[in-house]
Amino acid sequence: MLRFPYRARPRKMSRQRLPEEGIIVGQEGRLQRLRQLVTGLVRYERIETVYQHCDETRGYAERLIHTAIRNGDQHQHTMEMADYWLNEKDLIYKLFDVLVPRYQNYSSAFTNIYRTPIVYPGRGTEMGILELKGNPWPDVLPKQRDNRYVISNVLLQAARKDYNTSKESRKTKNELNSSSENSET
Amino acid sequence: MAASMSCKNVFQKISSASRSNLKRSYCQSINLTNAEVRRKRNEIFETEKKRQLGLITRMEKIQVDVKGPPEDCTLIMNKGISTPFNCSMHIQELLVNRSALALVNGEPWDMHRPLKEDCSIEFLHFLDEDPRIVNKAFWRSCCLVLGHVLETALQNQYYVELCSFPKPHLQSGSFVYDADLKLKDWKPTTAELNCLTRVGHKLHHLDLKFERLEVDASIALDMFQDNRFKSQQIPFIAESSGSKVVVYRVGDHVDISSGPCIASTNQIGRFNVTAAHQIDTPDYGKLYRVQGLGLPSQVMMHYWSYDILRRRAGKFNTAPLPRLKMESSPQTDDNNTEIST
Amino acid sequence: MASYSRRILPCFWKTTKLLTFEDSARRVPCRYHQELLPTRNYLLPETVEEHRKSELSKHPELPPSITSENVPADFRFVYPEFLPDPQYDRRDSIRERLEREDMYRRRAVIDIPEFYVGSIMAVTVSDQYSPNKENRFVGICIDRGGVGLRAFFILRNVVDGQGIEIMYEMYNPTLQSIQVLKLEKRVDDKLYYLRDAPQEYSTFPFDMDPIPVPKGSTVPVNKMKVQLNPRPWLERWERQDLQGVEDLKLEQRFYDKAAKVAKPWEKYDLMKWYRENTNEEERDSIMQEVHQRKRLTDIEKSKRKTKLAERKR
Repeated sequence: MLRFPYRARPRKMSRQRLPEEGIIVGQEGRLQRLRQLVTGLVRYERIETVYQHCDETRGYAERLIHTAIRNGDQHQHTMEMADYWLNEKDLIYKLFDVLVPRYQNYSSAFTNIYRTPIVYPGRGTEMGILELKGNPWPDVLPKQRDNRYVISNVLLQAARKDYNTSKESRKTKNELNSSSENSET
Repeated sequence: MAASMSCKNVFQKISSASRSNLKRSYCQSINLTNAEVRRKRNEIFETEKKRQLGLITRMEKIQVDVKGPPEDCTLIMNKGISTPFNCSMHIQELLVNRSALALVNGEPWDMHRPLKEDCSIEFLHFLDEDPRIVNKAFWRSCCLVLGHVLETALQNQYYVELCSFPKPHLQSGSFVYDADLKLKDWKPTTAELNCLTRVGHKLHHLDLKFERLEVDASIALDMFQDNRFKSQQIPFIAESSGSKVVVYRVGDHVDISSGPCIASTNQIGRFNVTAAHQIDTPDYGKLYRVQGLGLPSQVMMHYWSYDILRRRAGKFNTAPLPRLKMESSPQTDDNNTEIST
Repeated sequence: MASYSRRILPCFWKTTKLLTFEDSARRVPCRYHQELLPTRNYLLPETVEEHRKSELSKHPELPPSITSENVPADFRFVYPEFLPDPQYDRRDSIRERLEREDMYRRRAVIDIPEFYVGSIMAVTVSDQYSPNKENRFVGICIDRGGVGLRAFFILRNVVDGQGIEIMYEMYNPTLQSIQVLKLEKRVDDKLYYLRDAPQEYSTFPFDMDPIPVPKGSTVPVNKMKVQLNPRPWLERWERQDLQGVEDLKLEQRFYDKAAKVAKPWEKYDLMKWYRENTNEEERDSIMQEVHQRKRLTDIEKSKRKTKLAERKR
């Protein structure tokens, strides 16, 4: 079961010009292009391309890994799929020996997808980054600095705490006052 | 500038107006003024420093491993003369300006304290990943500066005797100096506090170094013989640290503190004297607890948030009152044990 | 816009003449069209999970002791109608749950046996116009489909030289009995090509005796090849990759065209397969439930039988 939002219908992808096959249009061309992307993703663990292509590739890559995890490498259908989707055949070993153990106990999606800024001036294409989780590359998103101990934050935190305690004490005092008034009346 | 002048005038007028109501303190000698005492202390500090430098007869070289950023490097420096500040001068101007403290062999070390042996150095600043040591040093330095302000701001006829300041505690919201201002029932107005603030803020532009000197107890006694509080405290301090007393000089102001302190007053960006409360101490009698708030120039803050902090810093700081006994004596604050902020 | 974001809405425009969303979408200028279209391209798995894990999906009557059991692997082929519609915009977990409940209740009353496309079956239906107020039909199952209470199968036979096909809804209450006369599979998923085959391939006697299958044996697969009539046909059978059909004996141009329009890559389209089928995890959990309920109904049935036997004595 896919663990990320996917489109109900596949995207149409514009025709692909491939070095050997030439121009391939339609469904077949779409799958050819996706094959290249899936192969690249498994090879490099992080690819950068048009965002929409990233999104399409994501589903296929995850399904491939899911099938590999579920059925193992002794399953004929799974091997056929791996053979089709991985253009470079050494990656079949990587799929079963590296990726399957890595993702076996995951409870989330196996991939991350990011949008990258649109380059201006340029063609205005929305670009994206697709990566396998647990890859060896540095993080796409920068690590957040821990600024708890910067002096301004220390002082403000103390002031906040002070304010809250005084508020609490005021509240309890009011309650006490009101209760004593009630008892008097 | 005009505003500051007028403000200062106001303060002087107010203090001269209240002069007629004041009684001279019993211990004040007739011709003892802060300026003279400071000059005397300064001279002693200067001669002692020269003497200590004169002890180094031979230039010896030490190897200093500097850890990045910007990059790891090794420097050959002079033993007993070169300071971490000098090391940073060899590397980058950014380090010179922003480094507030150095970690020498993992131990906090003043930027202007000479290095004594082969060591590794790391430079610390206020926006580090974990700036807790520097924050403490900053707070302590602010206390020193507050003492400087109190000694210099009042007119000469008020002989101010500084007593002590408690351990730096950032959560309390203000740094504190307890002093005998020789003013009776003084309740500072906003204008007066602003004047004190201005005096302190000027030091930012003067860019005064915090110089550290380890002196003998006898010299320290000589230095602080005109201060009845410090002269009482010095024997106790010397007792705990083996007849040595650590003295800091900011500009021409000399004070006792175990350190470490930041590199320069230029690193104090915002400085406010927020309140002066009267306190009654068991050992020293009636004193004024002067409180302030400061921020490093490296740390930015919106004026609205700063105002909140300033108002909080005006409330009475419940730090322990100054005592003669050693365990609560403020000058002996041990910095290595204070890191738990 | 937000009101259109849910696709599962009552289809009131089919019954009334109100100005519907689809009409209005057609009339608005082109630039607003995109905004007015329902956002139905994404389904968050969390939303589905939330429905699935709701209190409604926990059945209070089920004893917790038999929750983990090995479900036979072929269960999903025996009970395919319990699986939900894979198209998410037709899905509603509560409705699915209620429908399954109704299906269990119906199955407790009527015996719906295991059958496949290619099996020969006899179905008895109540019919108020027939002499005995019931109607029995025998035929070969040529198709089976539908999900939930709308599950159906189609029987085909030749009566008086006329091909007859009847579609039965499996959970129709007018069904009195379903009997499998000969349990077997064919090599194709659908046997619509029997319409273009000689009549002897789909002719079965109404008084046919049931052929018992020995217990424990697997379902036999009938690999019979059907010789179709010459063209014209109802469909272009040469394009459908049929296994149970003899050589069609067509001109080469038909095969060329078939090769041209063939889509051999479709079987590799993992996402297409995923979108058109219920995913494995969900399928397993439903089959688990079906298995448990079947056991419970079987136990009840056997109890009832023993009671009846005692009474007879």
